[in-house]
Amino acid sequence: MNDTPALPLKLVDGLELPGPYRKALKPGELLSDAQGRGRRLPRFFYQIESWDAALKTALTSHFALWEFINVDLRETEAMRSFPKYVPCAVTLLAVHLEVFREHIGTVVHVAANGGYRSPAHELSKNASTHCWGTAVNIYRIGNDYLDDQEKIERYGGIAAKKLPSLWPRPYGHDAGCADDHLHLDLGYVLLMPRDAGSEG
Amino acid sequence: MNSQNSLQSMLRQIGQEAEIEKLAAAFFDYEMGEQWGYQAEEWFHAASTIKVAVLLAVFGAIEERRFALHSRLHVRNRFLSAADGRPYRVESARDSNSTVQAAIGKTMTVGELAHHMIATSSNLATNLLLNLVGVEYGRCLLERLHVEGIELWRGVEDERAFDANINNRVNANGLIRLFRLIQEGHAISPEASEKMLEILHRQEFKSGIPSGLPYPVRADARVAHKTGEISTVAHDAGLVFLPGRKPYALAILTQSSPENNRARDAVPKISNVIYEHLTGSMCGSQASGSSNGERGNRNE
Repeated sequence: MNDTPALPLKLVDGLELPGPYRKALKPGELLSDAQGRGRRLPRFFYQIESWDAALKTALTSHFALWEFINVDLRETEAMRSFPKYVPCAVTLLAVHLEVFREHIGTVVHVAANGGYRSPAHELSKNASTHCWGTAVNIYRIGNDYLDDQEKIERYGGIAAKKLPSLWPRPYGHDAGCADDHLHLDLGYVLLMPRDAGSEG
Repeated sequence: MNSQNSLQSMLRQIGQEAEIEKLAAAFFDYEMGEQWGYQAEEWFHAASTIKVAVLLAVFGAIEERRFALHSRLHVRNRFLSAADGRPYRVESARDSNSTVQAAIGKTMTVGELAHHMIATSSNLATNLLLNLVGVEYGRCLLERLHVEGIELWRGVEDERAFDANINNRVNANGLIRLFRLIQEGHAISPEASEKMLEILHRQEFKSGIPSGLPYPVRADARVAHKTGEISTVAHDAGLVFLPGRKPYALAILTQSSPENNRARDAVPKISNVIYEHLTGSMCGSQASGSSNGERGNRNE
């Protein structure tokens, strides 16, 4: 059983990180969702040393780590440079996307800012599941750009049918909807790897 | 003064021949210190000339350390209309730049977007940058720098705002003021002005002011400029650098009916007569007035 491939990433306790990272990641803190319900943020993270490491770290056959940490200038400065940190639950998200990809049989493109976003990211409003590493914004599937109702609902429907634990954000122009990508998420999942330190 | 009256007559004649409804031009010549304007306070739909004001705002925000030229920005084709706050998109068929369109979903640097906004007049790059800095910020910056004659109200291709008569507007004097700030190093800072000038020199649409320069001069001239065309207007404004003399700032604005195909040819003709006026040259008949199809792309 020892030949099980392990992620080549260091597991860290967010509470032990230097100040700027703790400020951005808010490990273990409570955030309110849009309905005012408290949601506890991830405390344990994988540490990514470089962009090259992110490129080379495969989470599944077709999804590499870089796809989930590609952010723009709206992310806080500490989280734009390396080392970067990503919640451990990103591995679960990748597995779900891999299954989704198998069903649709073509490439799934994750948008910039469409994977993990720290709670300090400008787009992180309320308790966005992006802050848990369990949400993804897909802007393109194969040659289809997901920028209309038909495509967003078609692919969202496939995801929900094949993977009931994935929630597709409804199509629409208002808050809580999406009109230029397909948002899928697993909810507020916290993943605790075996090697994680004590929560006490 | 006679010379300026003659220039005015020539412009009027060009305008009449091309059946232009409204025409304005202005220049400031650093060589002779001469300033001149023809209907230079008349307002026009800015079309893509507003992108120079957006460029100014980008460098203003960089100076304030909000971001840097190398900062990466998500290329997302979704903007909110100034008319009703509802989303709209830049139509790829209308945008002359395929590089930025191809980057949808990915990121590009602010510097790359600024280059495409000016050099290839990318509407998508423009809206991304304006969205980043904020319309209000851009407008306040213009006010702070005393650039009267340029009104920034919205992103480009905002059709609902157009229908509601919410438009970016310019007049010839306003554009001259802005280009003078850049040339004189007062647009944010000398370093920022230099970088803006460098970007403006990369302009790829040369059917306006540059093609009004006579052939022998054109090869050695450098023009840092921004064109602007929609169905009813054809503009060009910028700085003309000729060998052996100081530069001049020039703005040419025209408005005509959408069916008028000759309007755009007036811009190089006016560029030519102003060149002749400023240099005393008489080789203006060699100006071509060629076009490069920008109008067809309907970039604002």
